[in-house]
Amino acid sequence: MIIEALIGFTFLAALVVMLAPDEYAGRLAFGLSLLPVVGSLYMWSQFDATGNALLEGGSLAFETQVPWLTAAGYQIQWFVGVDGISLPLIVLATVLSSLAILSAWTPIDSRQSQFFGLMLFMEANLLGVFTALDFFLWFVFWEAVLVPMYFLIAIWGGPRRKYAAIKFFVYTNIASLIMFIGFMALVFNLDVNTFGLPAVAVALRSGGLSGAFGLSPTALKTAAFAAMFLGFAVKVPVVPFHTWLPDAHVEAPTPASVMLAGVLLKMGTYALLRFNFTMLPDVATQYAGVIAIFAVVSVIYGALLALAQQDLKRIVAYSSVSSMGYVILGLVAYTQLGVGGATFQMVAHGLISGLMFMAVGVIYNVTHTRMVGDMSGMADRMPVTVGILVAGAFGYMGLPLMAGFAAEYFIFQGAFASSVIPVAPLFTAVAMFGIVIVAGYLLLAMQRTLFGPFRLETDYEVTRAELHDTLPLMVLLLCTIALGVAPDIFFTMIKEAVTPILAIGGGA
Amino acid sequence: MAAFDYAPAIVLLPFVSFLVSLGAALYGDDVLPKGGALAGIVATAGSLILSLWVFFTVSAGNVYNQTIYTWTTGAGAAGEEALELTFGLLLDPLSSMMLIIVSLVALLVHVFSLGYMNDEGETGLPRYYAGLGLFSASMLGFVVAHNILMAFMFFELVGLCSFLLIGFWFREPGPPSAAKKAFLVTRFGDYFFLVGVVAIFATFGTGRFAGAESFPVLAEEVLAGEVAVNTFGFAPTTWFTVVGLLVLGGVIGKSAQFPLHTWLPDAMEGPTPVSALIHAATMVAAGVYLVARMYGFYAVSPTALAVIALVGGFTALVAATMGVVKREIKQVLAYSTISQYGYMMLALGAGGYVAATFHLLTHAFFKALLFLGAGSVIIAMHHNENMWDMGGLKDRMPVTYWTFLSGSLALAGIIPFAGFWSKDEVLYEALVHGLGTDGGLGTIFLVAYAFGLLAVFFTGFYTFRMVFLTFHGDARTGQARDPEGVGWNVKGPLAVLGVLAAVTGFVNMTPVADLFDLDIEYLHRWLEGPEGVEFMSALSAHHYLELLESDVTGIHAAELDPLIPGGVSLLLALAGVGLAYALYGRGEPEEYTAKLGGVQDLLYNNYYQDEYQVAIAERVVLPLSRAADKFDQSGVDGVVNGVSSVSLFSGSRVRRVQTGLVSNYAALVTLGLTVLLVAFGIYGGWLL
Repeated sequence: MIIEALIGFTFLAALVVMLAPDEYAGRLAFGLSLLPVVGSLYMWSQFDATGNALLEGGSLAFETQVPWLTAAGYQIQWFVGVDGISLPLIVLATVLSSLAILSAWTPIDSRQSQFFGLMLFMEANLLGVFTALDFFLWFVFWEAVLVPMYFLIAIWGGPRRKYAAIKFFVYTNIASLIMFIGFMALVFNLDVNTFGLPAVAVALRSGGLSGAFGLSPTALKTAAFAAMFLGFAVKVPVVPFHTWLPDAHVEAPTPASVMLAGVLLKMGTYALLRFNFTMLPDVATQYAGVIAIFAVVSVIYGALLALAQQDLKRIVAYSSVSSMGYVILGLVAYTQLGVGGATFQMVAHGLISGLMFMAVGVIYNVTHTRMVGDMSGMADRMPVTVGILVAGAFGYMGLPLMAGFAAEYFIFQGAFASSVIPVAPLFTAVAMFGIVIVAGYLLLAMQRTLFGPFRLETDYEVTRAELHDTLPLMVLLLCTIALGVAPDIFFTMIKEAVTPILAIGGGA
Repeated sequence: MAAFDYAPAIVLLPFVSFLVSLGAALYGDDVLPKGGALAGIVATAGSLILSLWVFFTVSAGNVYNQTIYTWTTGAGAAGEEALELTFGLLLDPLSSMMLIIVSLVALLVHVFSLGYMNDEGETGLPRYYAGLGLFSASMLGFVVAHNILMAFMFFELVGLCSFLLIGFWFREPGPPSAAKKAFLVTRFGDYFFLVGVVAIFATFGTGRFAGAESFPVLAEEVLAGEVAVNTFGFAPTTWFTVVGLLVLGGVIGKSAQFPLHTWLPDAMEGPTPVSALIHAATMVAAGVYLVARMYGFYAVSPTALAVIALVGGFTALVAATMGVVKREIKQVLAYSTISQYGYMMLALGAGGYVAATFHLLTHAFFKALLFLGAGSVIIAMHHNENMWDMGGLKDRMPVTYWTFLSGSLALAGIIPFAGFWSKDEVLYEALVHGLGTDGGLGTIFLVAYAFGLLAVFFTGFYTFRMVFLTFHGDARTGQARDPEGVGWNVKGPLAVLGVLAAVTGFVNMTPVADLFDLDIEYLHRWLEGPEGVEFMSALSAHHYLELLESDVTGIHAAELDPLIPGGVSLLLALAGVGLAYALYGRGEPEEYTAKLGGVQDLLYNNYYQDEYQVAIAERVVLPLSRAADKFDQSGVDGVVNGVSSVSLFSGSRVRRVQTGLVSNYAALVTLGLTVLLVAFGIYGGWLL
């Protein structure tokens, strides 16, 4: 019941905050958002799931499965539960939502109750995405996440917010449609009468798929895989489906960027893992080389794009493309460290990119510019913020004993000797070169903006950041270090959940 | 052993001082007395005491190789056992010796910083001491690491500290730029290192340095045909060489070897005590130490050894020539550091494990001494570092002069100072192995030896050019005539290191031992390690020699009296010193190197090494990224926007259908129905 309690409470909190007066909305929302944090940490402490949620031999934690309605002979269920893959993402979503709300106190100065209400509404749906195990239910949450994000960008965004919001919405929505068609094509030709994801996964692998549309079962599988991969690749985003991301990030208000990079992108990688790589492992392994090319191109090309940017937020935005490329590489490796590392990277990148966006946001709050050329020597005026930003940047570069290094190292180690990816060592080594480029663009940007003699091209007086601005940064930094020093906080349960996937992917 | 139980505290104590100083830095400059220096001094003194305890415990015949914390476990390949990713300590003769070097120099540098930073009224001291504390902790962690992943992690952390401390004066434009360059160039090397680490785990399933299940031992067994590992389709020798060279990338970066040496001279932008600790005695040593740490792995790959020797010898010579024309005292020392680490690499490549370790030991002391001496001079000169503005400081700062002279004699390799013994052994090893080894490998060793031998002359010259210009003759500026005095906190560390630079060489006087048939090669005996400990036999100096002389590697030593090559190198060093004396030691010195014309420009600009590296960054990588950005905006995003404009356009056209006229709609309905009917008709076969 705790999952229902969490989701229900967060929806309720969203409603309460929507109705609250603007001046209290921020504080109220933050206070209310702490309860889901406590709840998710309680779930972590009581976690007892074994195996993978979708595969035989596993048992879910906090499971609820009740029939909801029957449509066209298919049973739709309220089916939620967590395994070792989803729980870390739930903790990430609650923690990051709370901190993003806190970081919104300063920059959001109009229609606060709506803003904070939408943030909580988004959090509730995110919790749904990561817990739902019935496709219909999951898809409702999946689509519902887009709505608040659309408004967050379109109302509180920058000058080109309309363009960015519509691009974001249309692009990801079309992708969802393609994915939806792909999945439905599978289910309707499958020997099941439910949308329950575990049942679909089992039926797919037991050969219950019949051909359709003139396609053989294998061809149908491949087509469905391609459709779903495309749908999720937009969300991740994988190059070349990434161009909505920088626009959305640049225009979005900082707290929305934090959620977008920190959690929303992980919906894509989470879904790839749950659908493509768990349900259709035979197709994934067959096309592993192609997928690995997507991954490596995302890493290197994304990093090169980041190097060319002059807007701090764009730099961080493009670097996400690069980091998500590592996730794809880890997933397709079908090894324990590869898939586990990819899952770990989802959390690690969520924390670190959240930290980076927030820190850039704090600087923007006082300087009203994000352009690299507009400022220098900010370390002189904002020592604490800059200190944390530097620490976060090194975390992004993969400094050992921070979460990003653990995740990337696991992925590299897992991909290098993968028997699924052709010429795995070469792919891995090329992707690893990303760690040099990321150091290049972050160090260059830091040198130009944070160090050197103080200079600011805007007419604003630089003031010290408030405690509620820097506190979320510190919390994220500490979380990043904690996960880097003791990755087993999450990695033990992640390994438990990914190991069954390896067996079906021929990788174990 | 009790000492080993407390050994983790060697790393943790400086880490605590880091946390203390960091807290103070967040709270304000004057929370702690001396800005956090005392915490650092206490912590590093504690580390030194514990390190000595470990040293004596090791010398009593005990060694330690234990995991203390499991980071995580996980399988990296199908059907393989889970890899154990752990933190643990390997305390053996090599690491316990290095622990003393690092903790001693760290302690002295902390004390010296009282004079260089506190007394000079610097701000931001807690941040400075936090950096020093974190550096000391990371470096000590690197030294005791018992597996290569842990070593890599601390290797990166010392890189971070180097970045932070080089950029300590972040309000000026120079230091942040130098800090960036240092991190980036070493990161480029570390990329290869990390690929190497991943490859080692993927190949051997372990990253341990010592023990029956360690990768050097496994490599040996694979080559002996006793076990099999995944060598990714290559022959084992080829693959091990590839892996060894990958790890070497990190070594070349950190130890500032050609062609990744360019960051070190820039790193002199940092405070001088930092240069002494990080960029002379310890962090730069990390690369060489790593090769020594896993020497068993390199010893079975002749190709890797040849590369190491050649890179080392070449770097030793090239860096020494660049040191000849520099005007600033710290620049001379920076190039000298590059050159001296080249000697260590030369020794490692040419099969001189003991010689390399020996030179690592002596160099740590005499180079830290020279940097601190230069720091003392810089205080005296009110932070003017140009040697042409100095002169005549000998009489005004005698403690600095005499200690600096001790360090200089050691650096130049003049008997009986420390550097003479160690450099002589390096060159001797290269020569005898070059003469004794057949084929191309022997030739390479001889070439590398020739480089190293030639560098001796330049070393003697630039060292004493520096000494004469700084301390001798008449004061050339007002600053030099009236230098600022330095306190006990500067003189104390100088005195300690001055004595060490003079006497450390006595721990391994190989020529004397050979000549009089004495058993006084203490360092050699020390690196043999205690008898009867199982894992130690694979880490001992004689085991490495066995590997080198095995059929796999095929390195052999020629019989050669050590006196002749020793005499030759001493004569060359003296010739260098003599030339320096002739040019700069008498009367009013001139910039004689100006007469070299184009050669001087070439040397002063470091053979334009920086230029081509900057050009790669600015003229290749940046334009590439801009081109990618342009392609992304017009190409990739252009398609996206194109699709949307097509749909907008078609939408606007289709909209015209909605005219609002009922007759139009009726016509369209009729038309549509007709088309459908015809279509169905054709499909059903009723028509046609």
